[in-house]
Amino acid sequence: MTQIWRWIPLLLWLAPLAAHSDTDPARSGEVEALHIRAELFSDAQRVAPGDTLTLALRLQPDDGWHTYWMNPGDSGLETRIDWTLPEGAEAGPIQWPVPEKLPVEHLVNYGFEGETLLLSDITLPMDIAPGETLTLGAHARWLVCEIECIPGDAELSLSLPVGDLTELSAHTALFQRGRASQPQAVDWPATFSIESTWLEVTVAPDRTLNPPLQFFPGHTELVEHAEAQDITLNDDGQLVIRQPLNVYFHTTPQQFEAVLRDAEGAWALTLTDGAEMPPEPPAEAPPGTSTTVLLALLLAFGGGVLLNLMPCVFPVLSLKALGLARHGGHRPHALAYTAGVMVCFLAIAALLLVLRAGGAALGWGFQLQTPLVVGGLAYLMFALGLALIGIVQLGAGWMGAGEHLTRDTGLRGSFFTGVLAVVVASPCTAPFMGTALGFAVTQPAPVALGIFAALGLGLAFPFLLIGFVPALARRLPRPGPWMGIFRQAMAFPLFLTSVWLLWVLGRQVGIDGLSLALAGLVALALGLWLWGLSQLSQQQGRPRLRTAAALIMVAALWPLWQASQLKASASMMTDTDAGGVWTPDRLAALREAGEPVLVNMTADWCITCLANERVALDTDTVRAALTAGGVTYLKGDWTRQDPAITEYLAHYGRNGVPLYVLYPRGGGQPEILPQVLTPGLVRDALARAAAP
Amino acid sequence: MKSLHHVLIGGLLALALGSAHAAPRVGQPAPDFSVVDTAGQTHSLSDFAGQTVILEWTNHDCPFVKKHYVSDNMQTLQRRYTEEGAVWLTVISSAPGKQGHVSAEQADALTRDRHAAPTAVLLDESGDMGRAYDARTTPHMYVIDAEGVLRFMGGIDSNPSADPADIPGATPYLANAARAVLAGDTPDPAVTRPYGCTVKY
Repeated sequence: MTQIWRWIPLLLWLAPLAAHSDTDPARSGEVEALHIRAELFSDAQRVAPGDTLTLALRLQPDDGWHTYWMNPGDSGLETRIDWTLPEGAEAGPIQWPVPEKLPVEHLVNYGFEGETLLLSDITLPMDIAPGETLTLGAHARWLVCEIECIPGDAELSLSLPVGDLTELSAHTALFQRGRASQPQAVDWPATFSIESTWLEVTVAPDRTLNPPLQFFPGHTELVEHAEAQDITLNDDGQLVIRQPLNVYFHTTPQQFEAVLRDAEGAWALTLTDGAEMPPEPPAEAPPGTSTTVLLALLLAFGGGVLLNLMPCVFPVLSLKALGLARHGGHRPHALAYTAGVMVCFLAIAALLLVLRAGGAALGWGFQLQTPLVVGGLAYLMFALGLALIGIVQLGAGWMGAGEHLTRDTGLRGSFFTGVLAVVVASPCTAPFMGTALGFAVTQPAPVALGIFAALGLGLAFPFLLIGFVPALARRLPRPGPWMGIFRQAMAFPLFLTSVWLLWVLGRQVGIDGLSLALAGLVALALGLWLWGLSQLSQQQGRPRLRTAAALIMVAALWPLWQASQLKASASMMTDTDAGGVWTPDRLAALREAGEPVLVNMTADWCITCLANERVALDTDTVRAALTAGGVTYLKGDWTRQDPAITEYLAHYGRNGVPLYVLYPRGGGQPEILPQVLTPGLVRDALARAAAP
Repeated sequence: MKSLHHVLIGGLLALALGSAHAAPRVGQPAPDFSVVDTAGQTHSLSDFAGQTVILEWTNHDCPFVKKHYVSDNMQTLQRRYTEEGAVWLTVISSAPGKQGHVSAEQADALTRDRHAAPTAVLLDESGDMGRAYDARTTPHMYVIDAEGVLRFMGGIDSNPSADPADIPGATPYLANAARAVLAGDTPDPAVTRPYGCTVKY
């Protein structure tokens, strides 16, 4: 080696000379530069018109030194060749060998150590005559680095005689080595997408690949080259490769070359932008196929059956059922009751659909967004409870206790019991089934109505059973004095339901409004009590008592109406937790700044929402994760009507709350969290979103 | 296929555990620093509140740095933007014993001999400032606005070569960005590929 070093200046001086004086026309003669030697070879020593020959630039850096691939990585510079060719001849691109990963400090480069053969195809024109000599010139420029880098270049040229026939050169072995160092070109389906903070590549190889796998993107500033690659198999057997985006990433390429290497070989791929096909708009609910519609109908039916056990429904219906069981002729009553349920359900659904078609931003649960409706239901629950306690005697048509059940009034009564069942059930349907029904509303009208009808059928189902299966009716407990006690006991679930509704009302209208409504309730109780007195009193005092009772009951509505005009102050509307108030502008501003944001769309009448807040969102774990990740927490309150929130929900294909949307740092696709949260799930999602 | 799966899961875990080094972000406050210059004076970003600050990472032996000094490109940029009111800080993050590391006297001599015109040359021997900015290459350029917000980071121009002859044909990213920030505009592009030698931490 030392001897060679001594001769370098001479070799450098001789190099251009060597290209022409060497007896082998298929090699240029070696050029020695600092820490690297370069030479050009041809695979043909005589060429014919129209030939395509291959030239090889051989780079031989010193031990420990390297040159760079087409994507040099975090620093460095790819080797370039500028060709000087006869007119009409064309040079193809460099056919790169499989690169090596070369870590430098905290960065990574892609390049080559040792003998490096860069092959290029040259296509010759037809109009060259045998006997001519073709001069093919290459100006090679490289950066050769160990830790320090030295740019270098060489002018290399070959003079090849033109003949009638191509004559291969003596360098076949060198070209074989060169081709063997290249990845094998394959046409495996391969796409890429730029996610918020990473590049995701999906490849469908036609064979099993053996680890370790390495992915080399041939495009600069696409990935953080030093970051680990996450390579997984998806359910379809495709490789999914994720790597964090380069800090200096700015433009998404249309396509790019890449090399995938496993233990045995390497493959050259062309990746196309997978996002070219627009993703399905999330706002559109998928059109229900026959199976999903059938499933939805079944679920709705099951939900309807369950509704019978809800605290707002059970007291009323259990008594009705017991009353029915006592008498003959169940079937007409069961049918009348079912009709009442169905008509009422379908009416509500139709109203909702018509309002939505008219452009009103309404979602399921809309009934409970109106303070007047919430208060009215609270009054109704309270009044029914008082009636069950025995303050007033309600007619057979109402509660169907059965004493005066006759065929005429009873059928009408059964129908209205059905209507009443739906009305009293509504505080329970919205919180427990809001999501499912919200989905139904977004379906085409026939499907939506079908789902509501199935729900109604489910609600009426126990009655139908009792009506049509006499054996079942016989198994019900025999009526007796215990029924009076049972009836009074059933008042308490209704009072509880009423308390809950009043709480929701309080959230909507504030403490002043709630107090007004409570005053109204006292008036209502007074009216009912007077009415009860009138039922017991002597004939002469009765009409006057009744008039007074009716007037007081009507008057009881006035404070409720007053209350519904009030609005809770801002401090009442938001919790004292870390949550800021969601507004479209606020979210947009944070997104603009690339901040990670967690949006929680909630309502006080939504039990799932409240449970999630209590169990997951308002925990120390999640609060710590929010602070650590710098994630802004925005809470949107849908307890009252808010068209902005309804629109936001619709954007995510939702029609009801809860909805949790997590926007990652630096923009990109938001993640929709499940409707049932755990602290760990939220913490992990926050960590993902907060990662830079 | 099963073993592949295991390896793949291992890779996923490695990714999850791997620490992502924090890079500064355009649009966010630029990292503060406290570094002595060749005269022994300590400079912090907060000292330059109200002024546009341009940071240049350098290593006088790096061919990509030479490209811009031999051609007088870097000196011209320094002169132009300091005259327009910007603060130009040349930062040397090479560790002692590594390429590009210089004493204060050597740094001053380099400035003199090359007719360079930075506001100050900062000697970041520890590499703390370089790492805070995630400076990767020499040259690597940053522009910070008067409010201390990072407005540009990346390569000085669009041609990542070491050949001075390529400078006239390249898009001058740094010059465009500095002009935009001084005029109160947003640079476009605000992020470009930094090219050159690895910073010798």
